[in-house]
Parts: sequence; C-alpha cells; structure tokens
Amino acid sequence: MTTLTHAPASSRPIPNPKKSLITRLHMGTGMVVGIIFCWGTYFAMKAGRDMTDSHNVNKVLLASMMMWSFGFLVGIGALIGPFRWLIGKDLTAEEQLYLAGDGQGVKRYFKYCTDHKVVGIQYLVGVMTMLGAGGTMAMMIRTNLATPGSHFVNPNVYNSLVGLHGITMIIALIIVSTGPFGNYIMPIMIGAADMAFPRLNALSWWVLFTAIPVLCSAWFLGGIPTGWTAYAPLSDQAGPGMNAFLATIIIFALSTAVAGANITTTVIAMRAKGMKWNRVPIFVIGATISVALAVPAFPTFMVAMIQTAMDRTIATGFYDPNVGGSGWLYANLFWIMGHPEVYVILIPGVAALMEIAPVFVRKPLFSYNAAIAGFAGIAGLSILVWAHHMYMSGWMPALNGPFMVTTEFISVPTGLLFLVLIGTLWRGKPWMKLPMLSVYAFIWDFLIGGITGIYLSDVPADNYLHGSMYVTAHFHYTLMGAALTGAIGGLAYWFPKMTGRMLNERGGYISFWLVQIGFNVLFLGMFLAGAEGQPRRVADYAHLFAHANLISTIGAYSVGIGMLTLLWAIIHSARSGVVAPMNPWGAKTLEWTVPYPVPLVNFDTPPVVTSDPYGYGRSAK
Amino acid sequence: MAHDTEFHIHHDSPEKVGRRERLGVRILIVADGSFLFSMIFSWFYLRNLNVNGAWLPKGVHTFTTSSGYMAAAGLVVAAVAHRIGEKKMEARKITSMVAFLALIFGLYYQWHQMAHMPFIAQDDAGRPFYNGAYASNWVLVAGANMFHYLIGGFVALGLVIRGRRASIDPVLEEWRQRIAGSWFTWIAVSGILCAIATSFK
Repeated sequence: MTTLTHAPASSRPIPNPKKSLITRLHMGTGMVVGIIFCWGTYFAMKAGRDMTDSHNVNKVLLASMMMWSFGFLVGIGALIGPFRWLIGKDLTAEEQLYLAGDGQGVKRYFKYCTDHKVVGIQYLVGVMTMLGAGGTMAMMIRTNLATPGSHFVNPNVYNSLVGLHGITMIIALIIVSTGPFGNYIMPIMIGAADMAFPRLNALSWWVLFTAIPVLCSAWFLGGIPTGWTAYAPLSDQAGPGMNAFLATIIIFALSTAVAGANITTTVIAMRAKGMKWNRVPIFVIGATISVALAVPAFPTFMVAMIQTAMDRTIATGFYDPNVGGSGWLYANLFWIMGHPEVYVILIPGVAALMEIAPVFVRKPLFSYNAAIAGFAGIAGLSILVWAHHMYMSGWMPALNGPFMVTTEFISVPTGLLFLVLIGTLWRGKPWMKLPMLSVYAFIWDFLIGGITGIYLSDVPADNYLHGSMYVTAHFHYTLMGAALTGAIGGLAYWFPKMTGRMLNERGGYISFWLVQIGFNVLFLGMFLAGAEGQPRRVADYAHLFAHANLISTIGAYSVGIGMLTLLWAIIHSARSGVVAPMNPWGAKTLEWTVPYPVPLVNFDTPPVVTSDPYGYGRSAK
Repeated sequence: MAHDTEFHIHHDSPEKVGRRERLGVRILIVADGSFLFSMIFSWFYLRNLNVNGAWLPKGVHTFTTSSGYMAAAGLVVAAVAHRIGEKKMEARKITSMVAFLALIFGLYYQWHQMAHMPFIAQDDAGRPFYNGAYASNWVLVAGANMFHYLIGGFVALGLVIRGRRASIDPVLEEWRQRIAGSWFTWIAVSGILCAIATSFK
C-alpha cells in the first residue's frame, strides 16, 4: 500500500502515533473549526460594511462559505500532510498507518481516512443522502404538479425546488458510480494495494462533503431561482441563496479535479503485473474515461461560476451587457462543460452494467474493443456538441447545422454500447439475479432516452420541443435510466464485497419493479405533456395537461416508494443480511479473489494477471 | 481472470512512486490548463463581441502591454532558476531560494497592480465597478496569476526548507524536484499566455 511504504527511509518514527495531533482530529473537530472559520469570517467582514448593498452581502456570504470549507479541512487534519511536507517533516510510517484507519473500526468512517475502501463507503453514504434529498425534492415538485393551480408550494419555492433538485441530483449522479465503486472496488479490480494518492483520495471526499451544508444553506438564504443551469444574467441578479450554489460548484469542481487525477493515475500506473490494457475490466476503462473527461471539462464550469461570483461581489461585468458582458459567454462556458458532464455521468453506469452482463450470462463480453471505441467515441465527440443546447438562444445560427451533425453522430458510438450489451446477451442463458435486471432496464430506458435525444438534436424539432417537459423527460431517461440504473445494478453486484452480505433479493425485486414501472409511467407521461407543449420549470400549467401530469405524479410516487424499499433493503441487508461467500457470482475479476473484510493492503501478495477478465466458456490463455 | 501470486512485491520503489506522482501532477496541470483556456476564451470572446462598445469604454485607461509580461516575470524566473537547480545539484540551495524570492516579488508586483487598477469607476450611488469587459477579464487573469504565485510560492518554500534538512529520502526528493519543475514550467507558460492575451486590448 502506497501510504505505508513510501515513507522516507530516514524519517524518524514518532514514539507513539496515538499521541500525535493526527489522532485527535475527526469530523467533529472539522465541523467545529469550520464553523469558527465561517462565523469568524462572517462577523469580521460584516463589520463596517454597508449590508444593504447586495455586493457586500454576496462578498461576506461567499467568503464565509469558502472559509467553512477551508476550516473544516483544517479541523479534520486534511492539511497536516501538505504542512508537514512544507516544513520537511514528512509523515512517518506509523502516522500513515494511522491515517489508513488501521484497527480503528467504525471511527475511521468519521476521520480523514486514506483507506480507499473507507472512502468508497463514505462516498456511498454521501451519494445515498444526496439522492434522498434530491428525490424528496422531486416528490415535492411532482406533488405540486399533480393538479393545475400550484396548490402545494408557491412559485418561488417551486423555482428553488427545481434548481436545488437539479444540482443535487447532478452532483450525486456524477459521483454515483465513480465515488463508491471507483474508490472501493476499482483499485482491487486492477490488483492495486491502494489508490495512487491516498491522501488526495480522502481529500476529494471531504472537500465534497463540505459542499453539502453549503448547498443546503441555499434554503435559508432565499433559494436558487435559476434552475440548476444558473443562466446569466439571472444568476447575477439572484438573491443571496445563489452564493450557496456558486460556492458548491467551485468546491465540487476542486473535488472532481483531485479525484479525476487520482483515479486516472491509479489506473495508468498501478495495474497488477500482467494486466495489459486489453485485460483491464471494462468498468475500470469506463470509470477512467469518465473522470479523464471530467478533468478538463469541470474547470470551464468553475470559471463560469467564478465569473458569476465576481459579478455579484466586486461588480465586474462578465454577463452584464451594460459593461460589455454577455449571457452567451456563460452559456458557452456552461455547456462546454455541461454536455461532456452528461457522459461523465453516463459512462460509468453503462460500464458497470457491461461488467455485470458477462458474469450473469456466462459469456465473454461481446467485442471488448467496440465497448472501448464506444466510450472513447462518446468522450471525444462530447466536447464538440455543446451548442445544441443553444440552438434557440440566437448564438451563431450558422453553426446550428454543424452542431446538429456532431450531435447526431454521437449516436454511432452510443449504438456500439447497445451492440456490446445485446451481443453479450445474445443466445445466452441469463442468470436472472438482481444485478442482471438492471441490464435489461438500461437497454429499455436508455433506448428511449437516446432516441428522443436524436429528435432534440434536430434543429427544427428542437425549435418546437425546446424548453418543454419533453426535454425534461428525455434527460431523465438518459441520466436516471442509464446512470442511476447502472449504479443500482452495480450496488447489487458489488454489495457482497462492500458489506460482506448479500443484498436482500425480495426487497431488491420489489424495489426494481416499483421503480421501473413508476419511472416509465412518470416520464412517458411527461413526454406526452411536453409534446403537447407544456413548458418546463413552471409551477402551474393549463388544464389541457392535467391528465398527463396526474399520471406522471402517480408514477413518481411509485418511484419514491420503490427507492424507499431499496433503502430498506440496503440497510437491512448490511446489518443482518445473508453472509456472502467470497465470490457469490462466480466472477473472474480480481475483486472477487479477496475476502471480506478486505485486508488493508487488499492482497496478501500482489496478483499477477494471466488472462482476460471475461473468459467465460473458454480456457484461460 | 486467472492470476497467481508468485511475486511478493510490497514496496514500490521511489522511482515508481516518483513517476506516479509526476503523472498525477501533469493531470492536474491539464485541469488548470482547461481553466486557463476558459479565461482566454472569455477574453477574446468578449473582446470580439464588444457588446455595446463596452469592451473598453471611452476614457477608460488600461495597463501597458509590458505590465502583463512584468507580472509573468516572477513565474518565468522561478521556472528557470528551478531548472538550473535540477541540473546542478550543488547550486540547488541557491536556485531554490532564487525561485522562492522571484515568486514572492512577483506576487507582490501582481498585488500592487491589482491595488492600482486604472479602470475602476463609480456608479451613481458612489459604488465602485469594473468599467468594461476588458477590466472584468483583466482582474480574472490577474487573480489566476496570483493563485499560481501562491501555489508556486508554497512549493518553492517547501523546497527551500527541505533542501536544508538532512532527513529526506534523496531519490524521492530528486523526483519531487522534477515534479515541481513540471509545475513551475507550467505556471510560467500560463503566465506568458496570460500576458499575450492581455496585450490584445
């Protein structure tokens, strides 16, 4: 394990690491220091400022939020490593062992722990919490839309609900597979003892963690009235809640950059001996392409957020036409990130399902190379399609045609993914266990999401459908139908390795059918309303759309009940489920060769790979 | 996936760790490069759009072309000094100190520029604002330079201190010198690109 073995030979071990400062820091001290930094900044900056001026309010709030994040990291001990490096006293082997959580039981989940398995579980709990919060907001949105008249919440609250639901779910879905499985499972899959940068790994999680209360604070600051896209100049003019959005994205972009560098380096540099590129499990390939795409994509989003923050705090004018700014600048920067981000979300989920399919049909993955070509093609083209989100904005109409072509062309590598999955299933005898259900659900859901996307990429059709519920239904079929379905399949598949117990089959089945039936009722109804012309992001609607909306809301409740059932199944199974054998699915990848609990350094002896991971039905070569 | 466990490699060599760390830093440089690209895109986009003729409103002063290069000079000097130190180990104590001081002076110079910006105006209520898209973009570029100076200064200070301590693994430290070299080279390139961009007024 890298954390344990790279201590300089000449570094002096401290007599007893249990007396070191590192041992006294945890989530609680992080929160205390974070709150002190936050309130200290707030009161210090507020003093002597005219707080009736919105620029000053924004300045004070943004600085306080960023200082909360910084203070938390100081308080949990995340900066001890860099500080010790600075003064030339590197962490000792004992201290690194302590940071890895050795022998600390449940406490390590609340500490700055560098063990990738702990970080994976932290991500899993964090993602589930975010999905729960985002899902609750979705229920509130659908309840409001059940009947015309916006009886449940007022339009301002509705706007905030839509914005917060959107950004919460986007963040959750970006990390839903690469967070838990990319951290817990992936290093074991490639035969590594740990991630390349264990301390950065823990940092990426705890930085992200600090964004959660910041985003929640938006509720108490008047909400986010802009939707998750936060278009300028609306976001320039929005109330104090917008600061929470900006701070969240800036913090999240930092976390993503760190996590992306870490995962990419781990896969490139730490694969087991014999694991040539054509022997790397497809989930690892997918997760790596996803994070490698995120590394250059998210900084553009961060720049857009920083520019908005500057407009709001120090009165620059990036998006104010009076002083030479333009909302089109924001739209470009946002969507240069925004469309690749869809694939950052999607690819790991699909890759997880490609990992599952061969195991449960006992056939090799059909055309491993086509799968890689599909992922790479999607990633490459995704940076050339951003302006299809801006057809109707009036920006460069002459480019609508070329962007239409590139967008439609992206369906070719996407088709390869279908080809690989269907080819794998073809004439197989599927073992219909819980993870396998997600493979079939994905094929149905993503087919609908993908085909409706082709309509939307078409400029004339988009002219009519743009800004309607049709678009909302399309991207939910894409993101939820592919990424979330893939992640749930992945959870069912890797649950035994992450918890040592099998996921409750009955609860899983009930959840699966409630979610899938509800999901299709919900969003097919939404397609109907959208095709008839119902605009999105509006709290009320004409009676013409009443039936479609009522159907959608019934579907939403079914999804909600299904997700609660899944939550129950997860908690119940983790606490008292059937104890899992080491390799319950008879899979061939390396994570199934280690016992549960997985040893600190994963493998007693580093493995040497001698065959491909999908050699079902043929002898090893 | 068939595998065997005949090898017993538990400790990665400093060479291997060094290469890995260099790769990680280079990937982070890609992220920072994307940030830089977005800033330069903003600069030229708003300059060419010139919305309401307010890229550079009449009467608004700008920084001289040379001031952008002056702001980048500290980054360049630090990168050159560090490269010399990488090649001549006996001069390393001096070159790391030169790199650190160059970054501190550069940081001060950038700060001084930001404290004396010629394009801040006041609205009817007497509140300051950045007059024109040139001004907005300039302050963002200057802020990015400041960020590079700060991170570069942290790394340079670390190398100065570590270079004076005996209890450092020499092989791993040699790699860290090279990794720091990647970062210093990048921030120097970034500074020059920013200076070129800001010369287009």
